[in-house]
Amino acid sequence: MGAKMLRVARILFISVAVVLLPAVPSNRTGGAAGFVPEARGDSRQSLAIVVNNSNPVDNLSFVELRRIFLGQRSRWPNGHRIVLVMLERGQPERETVLREVYRMSENDYRNHFLKGLFTGDVFMSPKTLTSPLVVRKFVFNAPGAIGYLRASDVDASVKVIRLDGLLPTDSDYRLQIDTR
Amino acid sequence: MSTRQKHVAGTAAGLKQLVKNVSGKSSPVSALFVLMVFGVEVGVGIFVIRDLLTAYRDVQQVYAGSVRGLRSIGELQYQAQETRRSTLYALATSDGNLQVTYADQSREADKRVTDGIAEYLAQARTPREIGVGKRLANDWDTYLKIRNDVLGLILESSTKEAVDVDLKSGVPLFDRVRQDLDDVKRLYEEQASQQLAVVAVSSRRLVVKLIGGLGFAVLFGSLAIWAIQRSEMRGAVQLAKLQMDFVASVSHEIRTPLTAILSAGENVRDGLVDGREGLVEQGSIIVDQAARLADLVDEVLLFAATIKGKPRYTVRPLQVSEILECALRNSAVLLQKSGFTIERQVQQGLPRVEGDLSAISQCLQNLIVNAVKYSDKDRWIGLSARIDESATDSKGVRISVQDRGVGISSSDLPRIFEPFYRSPRVVEAQIHGTGLGLSIAKSNAEALGGRLSVISEVDVGSIFTLHLPVAEEDRKLAPVTSAAD
Repeated sequence: MGAKMLRVARILFISVAVVLLPAVPSNRTGGAAGFVPEARGDSRQSLAIVVNNSNPVDNLSFVELRRIFLGQRSRWPNGHRIVLVMLERGQPERETVLREVYRMSENDYRNHFLKGLFTGDVFMSPKTLTSPLVVRKFVFNAPGAIGYLRASDVDASVKVIRLDGLLPTDSDYRLQIDTR
Repeated sequence: MSTRQKHVAGTAAGLKQLVKNVSGKSSPVSALFVLMVFGVEVGVGIFVIRDLLTAYRDVQQVYAGSVRGLRSIGELQYQAQETRRSTLYALATSDGNLQVTYADQSREADKRVTDGIAEYLAQARTPREIGVGKRLANDWDTYLKIRNDVLGLILESSTKEAVDVDLKSGVPLFDRVRQDLDDVKRLYEEQASQQLAVVAVSSRRLVVKLIGGLGFAVLFGSLAIWAIQRSEMRGAVQLAKLQMDFVASVSHEIRTPLTAILSAGENVRDGLVDGREGLVEQGSIIVDQAARLADLVDEVLLFAATIKGKPRYTVRPLQVSEILECALRNSAVLLQKSGFTIERQVQQGLPRVEGDLSAISQCLQNLIVNAVKYSDKDRWIGLSARIDESATDSKGVRISVQDRGVGISSSDLPRIFEPFYRSPRVVEAQIHGTGLGLSIAKSNAEALGGRLSVISEVDVGSIFTLHLPVAEEDRKLAPVTSAAD
């Protein structure tokens, strides 16, 4: 029994080490909000939540993020209308957001917005864009836009916001894309 | 045809050559004039070509500046319109992807406008240009801020707000930008017209310069041709005069002995001569005058031979004493008859000279005859020979013939070696001569590598010096002492 526990503990340790070691930030000073995108050597990548550079928000709790993505919040503190940007169906980033933020399937997601807009519970309808590049450009142009990008797709034209105080490069960052 | 007739025919040919020769004396002057004309024409040509090139460069600069400037401003106007047009296209669709594409297009166009304005400002020189450029840059920046707001509102689906902002701020600001661009264009046009005016003035000046230059060239060319022709004519007139003088002189020289011969012959024929002494006297007159005629003919023939081409010389090392003896022997009769005393001064140990005995002694003989002819009452001739220390490359020998005669005026000195030239003074004094002796002597001296020089003073006398090169074999020898002979 003790040996079995030890084996399980060893496997867990190795798994955590493999996941966390490459994610240790090496530089937090450059880029939008100190975020420097890094390519990961494994099959998992962080999903960055990005907003317009003029957006005063630097940090969101996961709960707030979820509310925004669910369309339950309409404006930023600076008064700009929140515009939610989603990628088209079938893309890993979108699946990650549906899984981690919405915790919904595609159908549930669609129904949520159809129903919400009808009942008035939802204040806006998400914009669906074709590629991460278009998402980045959209967020760059629209002061109230919020979207998501792989950490490797982020550049200085947009601002990465912290989730619960964590950047995508941080080890405990929550949004991870599984590309397997 | 007798030998004498052949000689006379040869003399005629020689005279023809002489005419050519004397006419040819103006050739260097003509060549100089032609060279001057050529130089002036080339100078005027360079001047004109340089001005043409400058004008061409000015026109090119104006053309390039105007075209480039207007093209730049046209491009700026187009890109500014494109910036706004793309923004409006984004307004016309609700597709987020298309809106992003239009936003991109608008930003690319606005970057080109911004770069164009920066380039214009960098090239702006006048305060007006800088002022207009700065105003344009400022208005464009302000418009871009509004454009960004409009784009943001469009992407946020706030279409109504986007339209409101654009109508309220975007349209007037874009109108200001358009006016600024029109101002820049107007400035370009003004500059172009100013530069064109400058080019027009420069072109007019160039035309005036061209006309002036060509006029000057034509005038100068005409003057030069006139001067050349005048010079040639002077030469021809001078030649004709010399020919007439020569004919008169030769006629006179021939007629005098002929008259004497005729008189003596008539005396003998008419039996007017008494006894043997009378016959001897008349015979002597005939012989002397015939000899004088022969000398005259020989002189003319010799001159003709000299100017016809290079006479054949037998060049060999000659002792100076040998030359002097030969010349004195040939002039002995004349000297004895005229009662002249010859004082000889020959430096001892003189090296041999190189030359033709006959030609050199002929030179000396001519000089001695001249000394006899132009000596006044003082019947003395100095004959000296010494080493020529003034010779530059190799030592030479100078043989001088000095007299205490009438001398030569400074105005006549430059011309005495010209063929047929006779000083008005000696013509007036009725001293007979052909004017060929010195010319022949000079030709001979120069043909043999030497030269003939003269020092003279009126009523004091003359010293003619024949400079001859030392023979190759005796170059290293030097005279030891001098002594009077």
